[in-house]
Amino acid sequence: MSTDIPIWRIKYLPSKLKEICGKKKCIERLEEIIKEKNFPHLLFVGAEGIGKTLIARLFTKEFLGENHDTNTKLVYADVPLTEEERKLAKSEAYVSTSKIGSMAGKKITTPAFIQVKVKPFVQLKVLGGAPFKILIVKNFDVLGDNQQGFRRLMETYGSNCRMILITTRISRIIDPIISRCQIFLISQSDFVSFSHLLKTIANKESLELTDEVIEILYRISDGKIAKAIDLLQLCCISGNIISSNSLYEFVNTFKNDQIRKLIEICFEGAFSKARTLMRDIIKDYKFNTRQFFSHLMDELINLPLSRFELIKLINIIADADFRAIDGRDGDIQISSLLSKLCLFSEKM
Amino acid sequence: MCAESNIPWVEKYRPKSIKEMALPTAKVEGHRVDLAEELRSFVKTFFLEIKKINKANKNTRGYNRTVGEKEQKEEAKLDSKKAAILLEGPPGIGKTSIIYALANDLNMEVVETNASDTRTKDSLQKKLNETTKSHGIMDFIVQSKQKLILIDEVDGIYGTKDRGAVPAIINLVEDTQFPIIMCSNEYKQNLQPLYNVIRRFEIHPLSEEEIHKITKHILTKENISILKPEELDLVIKKNSGDLRGIINDLQGIIQGSNENNNKELIFSLNRDTTEEIFTIIRDLFQKVNNLKEARDLTNKSDVDYNFLYQWVNENLPTFLTFNEDLAQAYENLSIADEIFGRIRKNMYWGLLPYFYDLFAGGVALSRKRSPPTKGFRRVVFPRFSRSGALTAAEKDFIEKITNKYEISPFEVIQDFLPFLKRLSSSSRKELKRISEWLDLDAKEKKLLK
Repeated sequence: MSTDIPIWRIKYLPSKLKEICGKKKCIERLEEIIKEKNFPHLLFVGAEGIGKTLIARLFTKEFLGENHDTNTKLVYADVPLTEEERKLAKSEAYVSTSKIGSMAGKKITTPAFIQVKVKPFVQLKVLGGAPFKILIVKNFDVLGDNQQGFRRLMETYGSNCRMILITTRISRIIDPIISRCQIFLISQSDFVSFSHLLKTIANKESLELTDEVIEILYRISDGKIAKAIDLLQLCCISGNIISSNSLYEFVNTFKNDQIRKLIEICFEGAFSKARTLMRDIIKDYKFNTRQFFSHLMDELINLPLSRFELIKLINIIADADFRAIDGRDGDIQISSLLSKLCLFSEKM
Repeated sequence: MCAESNIPWVEKYRPKSIKEMALPTAKVEGHRVDLAEELRSFVKTFFLEIKKINKANKNTRGYNRTVGEKEQKEEAKLDSKKAAILLEGPPGIGKTSIIYALANDLNMEVVETNASDTRTKDSLQKKLNETTKSHGIMDFIVQSKQKLILIDEVDGIYGTKDRGAVPAIINLVEDTQFPIIMCSNEYKQNLQPLYNVIRRFEIHPLSEEEIHKITKHILTKENISILKPEELDLVIKKNSGDLRGIINDLQGIIQGSNENNNKELIFSLNRDTTEEIFTIIRDLFQKVNNLKEARDLTNKSDVDYNFLYQWVNENLPTFLTFNEDLAQAYENLSIADEIFGRIRKNMYWGLLPYFYDLFAGGVALSRKRSPPTKGFRRVVFPRFSRSGALTAAEKDFIEKITNKYEISPFEVIQDFLPFLKRLSSSSRKELKRISEWLDLDAKEKKLLK
């Protein structure tokens, strides 16, 4: 069955906690929890794409056993609500009978996200023989002010439902939440287990993989296994022997070259063209304003410019990013940045 | 002109009878109905039913007086659907007029409350109870006029002033002695309890031909011939079905015109149209020379500033061509945007003048080198798409992937899809394998290219 899957990163997805490579300490702690059959709310912190969600998923699966499917839910905090869900949240607003003063008789609304996606699950009783339900919230930091709503939820429904919050940036999470959770710092996998895993994959796919190539892979992919496997699969299209040359070749084409192109157009000073491309990129990749800035930043740092010029560029981006915090229209802020980049190239 | 010239035409030409008015089309739950017939039968059946119920209640009251309190019989009540109806439609199409005309036809008296009265529970009850429950002393001598209750502008019920008004109206509907007709412009959520108990008529605007007939009738009656047909058309078009607005505008034009400036007058009465935005944008970039002129331009226009500054953003590169000017203009525009964000977030409305000056004057006057672009430039609509919104095809695609492999929708788009594209473009075989595995149809395959 599993041999039919054409995408390796899915084909070699671990199905048990034990199989996860390179996160020994973390896995040991989790297995201890499974033995004890009880845990407080958890907070998983770690860089993008190193398998936090996968660990959370496998952990809940092993913890709840056969009651897993009915008692867990995975919620993405960064997916915007649909129009219907918004309406639903609005219609569930209620008039307070207990409040006095200026709040009396006013409609009380909880944040729509919590109202629609979290509350219904948290409030339901545990099904089957499970000790409690488990809610996994991904990208928890995106919630911003809505995090406040979780404080009460975690206390009132804590005995009924435990939460596993997943985030990339712990600094964006408010202190009261952190204090209510046990923190798991999830690091990237170490080189030894990384190379071990890649070698087993290479064996199964009958590839020839030298240690040198593995080292390069490790460096390029920042220890992110999914990314490394993707690269490996792309490389093997051209043959079963993977050399460092072909690897570099693919890395260059695989990278997101759209943003690089955008910068090139900006440096030619063609603003209108740049803006059209910028809108296309945002449409294709669904970047929000902040993501767009950070991708631009990543690309700009690699430019062959003097350090003074680089600092100037960073200044321009920082300024635009700062304004976008309060601004209402992201398009204006990004356009403003592009126009400044166009001017910057003229002065160089 | 006649002595009546100082009353508004809208009042002057309000139809006296249903027969002489152009009836707007009405729909109940999607089916077309004859509004005049429905209204007439509504009033008639109401009085028939209420008579029966009053009789029955008299008997139960007699019974209740003699029997112990525990065994009191419930008094009969009229079905609320038969006691009240709601007319819902855009402003100025004749909802109120038709009710007055109906009352006139049936020789009834209209008791009206509208948004200008405060409608707290108490005040509503006071005003209406007097008229609904009391039968005057004179009733024995003269057959007094039957009454019709009109609650106009129900959708205007909101805020703290009108607290409790909706339950008050529902109470009233339940034990009224007179038929109630309500008018409202649009669906309002806080009126939902009301919608549940009464019948709702959707009223649609009059057709343009009907409106033409009516305006011509009024113009001939007023003996006016200075208005050219195309000017009349313009007035009708811009009001889009709002007959009251048309008649008001006509009066305004006629009374303030001196033959030549009709068109200008019509435009000055013009409210919010794209045509106006086009001219504003052009004037802003091509005519404005100093801050004061820019200010005058934004002050004069009634265009919503929410939109206006997005129009400025969209059309900036059309009018400013040098990068230096562009960067300066965007510097000002982005600060304006930031200020606007803060205004909306914290309600700092005092900052609004800066916002105006920056996005209009600050942008238009950023032109240092380039002479103002002359001649006609195309002004384009701003795009109103929300970034991050997924298309239908993308949604389906994401769902298919997440069924097999659990990652978030944005990871699919930003991370996984580029990889799939790359992989499937390498060979036909791979594309086939992937699409078979994910069970993709032709539309979704396109996403892979």
